[in-house]
Amino acid sequence: METTDSSVLDTARAKPGLLFVVALGGLLLVDLLAMLAGVSLGPIGGSLSLGRLRSNLWSGIVIGLVIGLAGIGLSMTYSILSFANFSHGDLVSTGAFTGWGVAFLIAGFGDVPVRALLTVRDAGNASPADIGAHILTTPGAILVGLIASFAFTALIAIALDRAFYKPMRDRDGIALLIASIGAALVVRYLIQFVYGADRRGVTATVEASNLAFDPLGIAVNAHELTIVVSAVALMLAMHFVLQHTKLGTAMRAMADNKDLALITGIPTERVVTATWILGGGLAGASGYLYVLLRGTIQFDFGWLLLLLIFAAVILGGIGSVYGAIAGGLVIGIVFTTSTIWISSDFNQAAAFAVMILMLLLRPEGLFGGVTTA
Amino acid sequence: MSEDGASTADETEGIAAIDEAEATPTTEGDAEVTARSDNAAATESVAAGTTHTIEGDAILRLRDLDAGYGDLQILSGVDLDVADGEYVTVVGPNGAGKSTVMKTVFGLTTHMGGTVEFEGEQIQGLPPEQIIREGIGFVPQTNNIFPGLSVRENLEMGAYILDSVPEDQVEAIYDRFPILRKRSDQKAGTLSGGQRQMVAMGRALMLDPDLLLLDEPSAGLAPDLVADMFDRIDRINDSGTAVLMVEQNAKEALRRCDRGYVLVGGENRYTDRGEVLLGDEEVRKDFLGG
Repeated sequence: METTDSSVLDTARAKPGLLFVVALGGLLLVDLLAMLAGVSLGPIGGSLSLGRLRSNLWSGIVIGLVIGLAGIGLSMTYSILSFANFSHGDLVSTGAFTGWGVAFLIAGFGDVPVRALLTVRDAGNASPADIGAHILTTPGAILVGLIASFAFTALIAIALDRAFYKPMRDRDGIALLIASIGAALVVRYLIQFVYGADRRGVTATVEASNLAFDPLGIAVNAHELTIVVSAVALMLAMHFVLQHTKLGTAMRAMADNKDLALITGIPTERVVTATWILGGGLAGASGYLYVLLRGTIQFDFGWLLLLLIFAAVILGGIGSVYGAIAGGLVIGIVFTTSTIWISSDFNQAAAFAVMILMLLLRPEGLFGGVTTA
Repeated sequence: MSEDGASTADETEGIAAIDEAEATPTTEGDAEVTARSDNAAATESVAAGTTHTIEGDAILRLRDLDAGYGDLQILSGVDLDVADGEYVTVVGPNGAGKSTVMKTVFGLTTHMGGTVEFEGEQIQGLPPEQIIREGIGFVPQTNNIFPGLSVRENLEMGAYILDSVPEDQVEAIYDRFPILRKRSDQKAGTLSGGQRQMVAMGRALMLDPDLLLLDEPSAGLAPDLVADMFDRIDRINDSGTAVLMVEQNAKEALRRCDRGYVLVGGENRYTDRGEVLLGDEEVRKDFLGG
């Protein structure tokens, strides 16, 4: 017993962070169990229904998948082009606006002026939400909008690359990072110019859109289900491209060793273009899905979301696609379940606290050291 | 002039001698070494040559080559030839520009003057992707594998410019390096140093190049693996691929190659058969550590 005690003490001395995390985690777990059991002992316990916990976890998975999807592109541009792309959040916004413009055009064609539809705006007395875009009433419009968000954002990403990043290909990561902040501002205010600065509702309210999902004992919103299915499908497609196609292998090769990729005869510029198409496209799709989740759109929401996306990517191990997905899920679940203990005003802080604790214990991130593979 | 004449004659004789040695397969390595050192002894009195070009056809011809990085010039007026199927080594002190020669052939430096001719075509200024198509493979000294890719994926990347993976070539490389067949699905980053070097060579051989450039292939290998690596290079050369190699292990490299170039300060100094360079008093003292 004595040796066990001293080895525990040694570990605690060597890694006080670990001790802190284990103690905090243990306390929260005890508290959670007490709450679920309905026991209240001073500060510990209270009441929490299993249903609320389940729905918190579900919401966390939904938002986590959206963040993870956005993080894939950020991680890829980091590993293949060697810079932290601060315009990534505005690519997320780009996808949301272009995608929803197309979805509105299909859902409301004929009833509302095309210009208003394409710019996701109010037109006279028809507010965007009255156009009735919803997965249950206009599934075609929603799906085409998703594809459009991917395609348009990929195009914008390539245009940004040609305009800003390609001329600077040989420069270091800091120079590119600063250029990307400039690119972010250009995109953000172009969006504001074209689509307007006001925050508005986008999706329609449809009666009985909550589908009871008996196996899990939760009611699942039809839009949440759409998000989960789309995000998982896009992630699986990305996995397939990376692991089973020549282009994907070349992307991993370039992430591993750019100089060797060049002398091996891999057409590195083509790989870079593919990286922007896939990474930018997925960012756009995630923005579109985020709006489907929230129901509202605003010109700078992607920029505001970027901090969480960075947190997810860093938590997962920057440079790793799978790390970005895992990090997104962790951040999403912390984001929603932390409201059990703290006010929802602070749940973003909780997500960052988890990221910082994680980095204290494992500085390379969850999938650190593992490259894009 | 007279010195040049002497070395040319000597060179011709040397090539004949090597041809002879290759024609009679030696069962014992020792016998070959003895034969070669005899040869060296015979020419010991003759100083190493300073004719840097060969007569007749060469697949690689560098003429009066100036090159460097950015504004920094490293090579000045370098001449170098590699005949079809020949095994050529470049040696010299640190900073002599040995690696720069290879990188220049492969289009990775700033070309400042002179020509690089491969199989009759001028290739200076071409991008690496194009040079691979011409039939040159390059194995850099360090970071020469993709650690996150499997062994097979590393090889497949070597044939990226082809529409489909040449399965027969993959098989040929697995036959050459049987251990890689066993490690096929393993990530290359998990392999030992010697196995990584095999992956790097295998990748460069995927397009069956006419000329293989090897930058310090023995660097970082455990001493007992060095001889094995040189044996493998001998076999690659025996199967008809010309080899241009830069090596810090100069004595062993000169012993094995057909001809050697001594570079000093980015310029040609001596060029001769390996044994002659090894036998030259000055070369030995100044560049091979006695």
